[in-house]
Amino acid sequence: MRVGLFASLAGHSAVLVWGLIAFPDATTFAPTTVDPLPVELVPISELTRLQRGEETAEEIRDVAALQPSEAPEQDAPEPAEQPAERQVEQPTPPAPTPVPEPEPVAEPEPAPAPEPEPVAAPEPAAEPAAQPEPEPIITQARPRSKPTPPRRTADATPDNFNPNQISALLNKVEPTGGRTAPSDQPASLGARDGQDSVQMTQSELDALRGQVAQCWSPPVGAVGAEDLRVRVRVNLAQSGEVAGSPEVLNTNSNPAFRAAASSAVRAVMRCAPYSLPIAKYDSWQEVIINFDPREMLGG
Amino acid sequence: MEQLVQSTLAAPEGDLSFFALFWQAHLVVQLVMVGLMFASVWCWAIIVDKMLLYARIRRQMNRFETVFWSGQSLEDLYGTLQNRKNSSMAALFVAAMREWKRSHEGARPAVASLQQRIDRVMDVTIQREAERLESRLLVLASVGSAAPFIGLFGTVWGIMTAFQAIANAESTNLAVVAPGIAEALFATALGLLAAIPAVIAYNKFAGDVGKAVARMEGFADEFSAILSRQIDQGL
Repeated sequence: MRVGLFASLAGHSAVLVWGLIAFPDATTFAPTTVDPLPVELVPISELTRLQRGEETAEEIRDVAALQPSEAPEQDAPEPAEQPAERQVEQPTPPAPTPVPEPEPVAEPEPAPAPEPEPVAAPEPAAEPAAQPEPEPIITQARPRSKPTPPRRTADATPDNFNPNQISALLNKVEPTGGRTAPSDQPASLGARDGQDSVQMTQSELDALRGQVAQCWSPPVGAVGAEDLRVRVRVNLAQSGEVAGSPEVLNTNSNPAFRAAASSAVRAVMRCAPYSLPIAKYDSWQEVIINFDPREMLGG
Repeated sequence: MEQLVQSTLAAPEGDLSFFALFWQAHLVVQLVMVGLMFASVWCWAIIVDKMLLYARIRRQMNRFETVFWSGQSLEDLYGTLQNRKNSSMAALFVAAMREWKRSHEGARPAVASLQQRIDRVMDVTIQREAERLESRLLVLASVGSAAPFIGLFGTVWGIMTAFQAIANAESTNLAVVAPGIAEALFATALGLLAAIPAVIAYNKFAGDVGKAVARMEGFADEFSAILSRQIDQGL
């Protein structure tokens, strides 16, 4: 027994040591933090059913959307030289230089705002930039060129990336894309084969079903007839005729299935042409009809 | 949102080394793991011991049978084996021969029911030998059947604590759930590690014991037949 015990202890410790060597903190995985994403459920039809547009419609653009993109064009060329320098100068050096300049500015102003005087003394540079009011006053004085440009230069100088311009682009595209829902807006450019935001209504589908059912003799006598569901894909021409031959989509091990399938196909062929709203041809061009004996047999 | 980020940051980093899994676990789970470890050690001790024992027994039986059927005089054989510490067939032979000798000692040999006495002595010896062979095999059987449950208990307990951690973290992020469950499953792994060899070894050893006992019984019958013939010829 002692031999066995020692052998066993040795074996176990060997396995443990091997484990320590083979898996020395082998897979220290740091859990990656995944920020929760807000998920919104949107019916796909909102995206896929585009409203049909009219080619004659005028292109509508949002005026507000255009402003940011056009505004910089006017201003950019003028202040390009000055503002860049001004911008740099302002923050760092000039305790002395701006002080003399704003004084004339402050003098005519006191009536509306008493503040500017004390404020102008310590750090006047920032204030005139922020307030639109000083503009008319500045037109007389020389330093006036400073306050006006810095505002726009901030927008104009970085031509490469400007969030406002991006939004302007997006806004420009939107009206041409069209939407499904609202029709109280004037017709606009839209997708060429978009739908008139219409779909086969339930009653129209029922009508089609009723037309087919009239011609269909369900496989009443077969064993397990209730399970003989047949799915048939039918291509319809615009006139309501069946185009091509209907295609049976499913199969079944029931020996009577072949008969049921052919009876379903026969029913489809015999009842043509179907009277369906021509305006919605897109939605019934290809129809899948379920022949379910259970419904017919009063299930 | 902020809560969630905090909780995921606070989630323990998964360290899957053996000791990390052990030390992170709850006390109960640790006890289970230690117990299973001991069970495994003990099982393997028994397995090694029994393997050596059965190999030795088989070897002894083979050697004894060759000697026994070599035509050597039984008296001589008894003489050499008498003072040794015998096992299995040799013990059987010595027990039967001792009974034979004792019955023939003295002025009046007690031969009348000698046959029965020899049979009984050999039966007792077989039983004693079988007992020696089978000893501790039940430990294997019970470890084999109970260890998975013990490991499962540890796992359930670990998962309970893991769920509490999830509830505290207020997040079902896998990173929060996984480490607790991993260390809980380690207990089941240990249970299976102990149980599988135990079950396999128990089945094999039970078969070995059965074979050895059958072999001894066969020898006992043959030897009993030989002695019975001797008795009848002596009458």
